[in-house]
Amino acid sequence: MSTLEAAKSGPPRRLGPELAAFGRFMLRELKPRGKLLTPFNLISLPIILAGVVILVIRFTYGLGSVTNLSQEFPWGLWIGFDVVSGVALAGGAYVITFVVYVMRLEKYHPIVRATILNGLLAYVFYAGALVFDLGRPWNIINPVIGNSFGYNSVLFLVAWHFMLYMAAEFVEFSPVVAEWLGLDRVRRWLVRLTLGAVIFGITLSTLHQSGLGALFLMAKAKIHPLWYTEFIPILFFVSSIPAGLSMIIIEGTISHRVFRDQIDPRRHGSFDQIIVGLAKGATIALFVYYFFKALIFVHEHHWWLLGDGWGALYLIEVVGLALVPCVLFAYGVRYRRVGVIRTAAVLTILGVVLNRLNISIIAFNWNSSTHYYPSWQEIVVTLMVVFAEIWVFRWVVSRMPVLRDRPVAARVEVRKRWKRTGT
Amino acid sequence: METYRYLNIFETKGLEYLLLMCFLVLFVLLIRYLEGNKHPRNDGV
Repeated sequence: MSTLEAAKSGPPRRLGPELAAFGRFMLRELKPRGKLLTPFNLISLPIILAGVVILVIRFTYGLGSVTNLSQEFPWGLWIGFDVVSGVALAGGAYVITFVVYVMRLEKYHPIVRATILNGLLAYVFYAGALVFDLGRPWNIINPVIGNSFGYNSVLFLVAWHFMLYMAAEFVEFSPVVAEWLGLDRVRRWLVRLTLGAVIFGITLSTLHQSGLGALFLMAKAKIHPLWYTEFIPILFFVSSIPAGLSMIIIEGTISHRVFRDQIDPRRHGSFDQIIVGLAKGATIALFVYYFFKALIFVHEHHWWLLGDGWGALYLIEVVGLALVPCVLFAYGVRYRRVGVIRTAAVLTILGVVLNRLNISIIAFNWNSSTHYYPSWQEIVVTLMVVFAEIWVFRWVVSRMPVLRDRPVAARVEVRKRWKRTGT
Repeated sequence: METYRYLNIFETKGLEYLLLMCFLVLFVLLIRYLEGNKHPRNDGV
């Protein structure tokens, strides 16, 4: 029985003792567990602290005090990496929830909670990093409260979709929080909402992944012709599938090593089978993505653009970091080589990040006399966002039933239902 | 009057059609390749 349920069990139910029990429970959970002086902590903590100091300076003295952004280059690393790339890498959540809750492929159920958590945190931190880049961050509330709605802007769509998708992902993850708090009745209600939230979330994802690409449609004159196409929205959506699946493969591999003690030993073997299944999906998605790129390239008659450095960069991205990982994935799936699959997953992530950076930063204003290079402060804040997300992910996984089986209370409840229904 | 040469693979978008056909054929081959190891041969039967 959990602490909260123990507090509730007494006959006179009063709010005061319940709140006190909840407070004690939260204080206990907030205390750090495990070793503090680990290599990861020693590297990440100073960067997070430095990032916080830089953000204080940024919000006090403005964007110009810590970034190399200008009127000509208003979007830099914070948008290009955190928002545009980060959202693509979070695409695994909508793919896996579709596979598990809609297609009913139960094989992937063991990874669904960790994937939803990863997606939720990615949106909270990476999309949340949008606030750093806004010259007047207090205006972020405008699309919500109806002050200068701007409903004909793509950013209006993206803002609403981000907000609604974060809410949908929280609903998908909320049964885990209820289990952690021992609120079985609440958990049962939240589980009933899951399928609706999943369908809503998938619909939103397909639209805002492509919506992020649609942001660049209005910058035709600024983006290098090798990267500009009217099909950017479709390419953004299609590439988010292998990016998300690759992220699950890498994140799952690391989680299985770091949180090995939390996972049922019977599941260790099945995880390799899950990786092979995910790799199969990534192969097909990358194959489709590669042919989309090839068709657009041929359609636009871009042969003459391959001769210079931009052409080399394009070939590295499309051949080296899309076609090559596709072949590696296929080989890994065929011969069950998990190491090859992991290598392909890393290459795919690099390819999608390079694609997003090319469109939003590197090949943006490519014919300008001046160029944008991120300042060291921008790099530190970007690292801070990544490390902060990992810290929160670690905190949640080590306390809530994300990787481990359901707690005893939930198992007892399920057993009671089995006896009642005979199923 | 502008002339149109049907033999020009670029003007007729022939290259795009060829690429699309390659995609469809290769897609089937890819799926067969990925599924190839699923059912190992049983020479004894």
